[in-house]
Amino acid sequence: MSSFDLLAALDMGITPHVVLTLYMVMLLAFGIIGYLKSKTSEEDYYLAGREQGVLVTSLTIMATMFSSAAMLGIPGLIYKDGVSFLFFTLNLPLSGAAIYILGSRIWRIGRTRGYITPADLVTDCYGNSGLLRSLIALVGFLYVIPYIVMQIKAGGYLAQRMFPDTESIIFLGQEIGIFEMGTIALSILTMLYVLIGGMRSVAWTDVVQGILLLSGMLVAGTATVMAMGGPSSFFDQVAALPSAALSVPGPSGIWSPWKLMTLCIFASLSTMIQPGQWMRYYAASSPKTLKRSAIIFSTLLPSCFLFGVMLVGLGARVLYPPSVENGALMPHPAIGSQAGGFDQVVVAMLQEHVPLLLGPTLGVVFVSLILVAIMAASMSTADSNLHALSAVLTRDVYDRFVRPRAGERERAWFGRGVIVVATLLALWLVNLGEQDPNFKPIALIAQLMFVAMAFSCQLLPLALDALFFRRGSQTGAICGITSGILFVFLFTPFPQLILSDGLTASVKGLTGTLSGLFDIGFSGFVVNTAVFAIVSRFTPPPSKERLESFERDLNTNPHTIK
Amino acid sequence: MIEEQQPPPYPKLKWILSAIFLFALIMGPGPGLYLINDFAAAGGTLAGVPALYAWAVFWFVVEAGVVITAYRTIWRDLLE
Repeated sequence: MSSFDLLAALDMGITPHVVLTLYMVMLLAFGIIGYLKSKTSEEDYYLAGREQGVLVTSLTIMATMFSSAAMLGIPGLIYKDGVSFLFFTLNLPLSGAAIYILGSRIWRIGRTRGYITPADLVTDCYGNSGLLRSLIALVGFLYVIPYIVMQIKAGGYLAQRMFPDTESIIFLGQEIGIFEMGTIALSILTMLYVLIGGMRSVAWTDVVQGILLLSGMLVAGTATVMAMGGPSSFFDQVAALPSAALSVPGPSGIWSPWKLMTLCIFASLSTMIQPGQWMRYYAASSPKTLKRSAIIFSTLLPSCFLFGVMLVGLGARVLYPPSVENGALMPHPAIGSQAGGFDQVVVAMLQEHVPLLLGPTLGVVFVSLILVAIMAASMSTADSNLHALSAVLTRDVYDRFVRPRAGERERAWFGRGVIVVATLLALWLVNLGEQDPNFKPIALIAQLMFVAMAFSCQLLPLALDALFFRRGSQTGAICGITSGILFVFLFTPFPQLILSDGLTASVKGLTGTLSGLFDIGFSGFVVNTAVFAIVSRFTPPPSKERLESFERDLNTNPHTIK
Repeated sequence: MIEEQQPPPYPKLKWILSAIFLFALIMGPGPGLYLINDFAAAGGTLAGVPALYAWAVFWFVVEAGVVITAYRTIWRDLLE
């Protein structure tokens, strides 16, 4: 029996249903317990009363950072581009260091001044500007939406793999297949427990999801290595891959060392200052918590990548080499049938090899658990981002511009409304992408991740200046972040919708050259920083009193202020 | 009343660790890769594993070592 026949014949029975049902019931239970333990204040809903300890903080930071990309997108890129993309792992120790170096300062002043969102801190430094606050909220929105889209897509992929024989249903005249059912189930469940329990539920579920994710990464790697005859045989087979898969810039020719290095630096910093993570620094019980989280993050997570899930991508590269069709790299038919199929490498590999290794019964249980771990990875990021977006749009937009006199109860309801609308928007985008193959913006999970990180990176110059230097002006900050956002937009498919053909060709030439050399976020960061520095040089800085008071609170133990 | 900030315990170590970390970023995912890329492309191995994989693991250990050293020495917060 060939491996394809075996895959087709593998009857997973009711095991995936049982495992998945238990997991979903547990998530909803966390949502309800979080609700019962919550107080009615906004601070409690968004920051869980600023009382999170080491275990919760470290796992919620990890789970928020590592999404479906950890189990689908990144192994997919290893499968596609070989060993070259392994170096992406080296961003993680820097991310870990950032948790303490940036996070402890954010925590101190956040605790002293009662901040909830990133814009609270930045506008306190440069002066309270509605425009600056809105731009920071926009960065949050541009980061969060692609990330949620990415997670919901993963739900669809998983459902296709777990329940391949499920028949489509017709609802309101629309045919809903298993992919759509998966996306709907993942998004509705995530939305529900975020709505009910706020940050407390999100963080608790992140703990379980983080543990599932880390163990899933290690088990997946171990299963692949064992299925290929043990470590020695595995690496012998990997070493025999074509030279393009063993070196940079990889078979697709895009991972030059300069690009990998800028990606490692700026991807890590941008993901550690995105709104969801920033709010986790506020929510920690003390800087000591952040320090311990930093060390766990820097060592444990990269190990799970290098010695775990990335080996699955390499193993698949050996067993099911991609092929070139019409000039484009395509996955092997055992992995997927279209370009986005690269993302399914972990699921396909595990479904095929784990039952062979562990026997049909135990193997199916393991496969089900790992599939749930992938779902956990998706949900843990989607929930954190939905929750952060709710805080940002409520605090920085609704509360400032729409209903400045709204009470806490009204703001809480608006925040919940944001969660519902953002979920539905992301769901709509996913289904649009599935129905229209020309809708390229969301073709591949990993591409979405890089665009989202590039937008988040535009908060970095302001964050670094506010936390360490305080040389910028409010006008400089506004001009810098605006130019950074606009510059990153040039790298997305959207300019071709509004620019003339000639201009689009010029933009494509510029962005093609830059993105071949460097990370997109880095390019936007350079433009943003240059504009920020130049404009700040010629515009009035914040008052001396404001800066002195800000600096004092950044460097002061909030517990000693009498 | 505000607590006085204590001077850092290892004033030079901060810069040494930062320099090592930066060096690891340049050598690991950065242009340092060119030193080993041809060997890796020819199917070269280090300790039985593909050269680029071994290179990534080595620089990860360096980076993690810097973070652990910083944790044990220079990361002193006002609350501790």
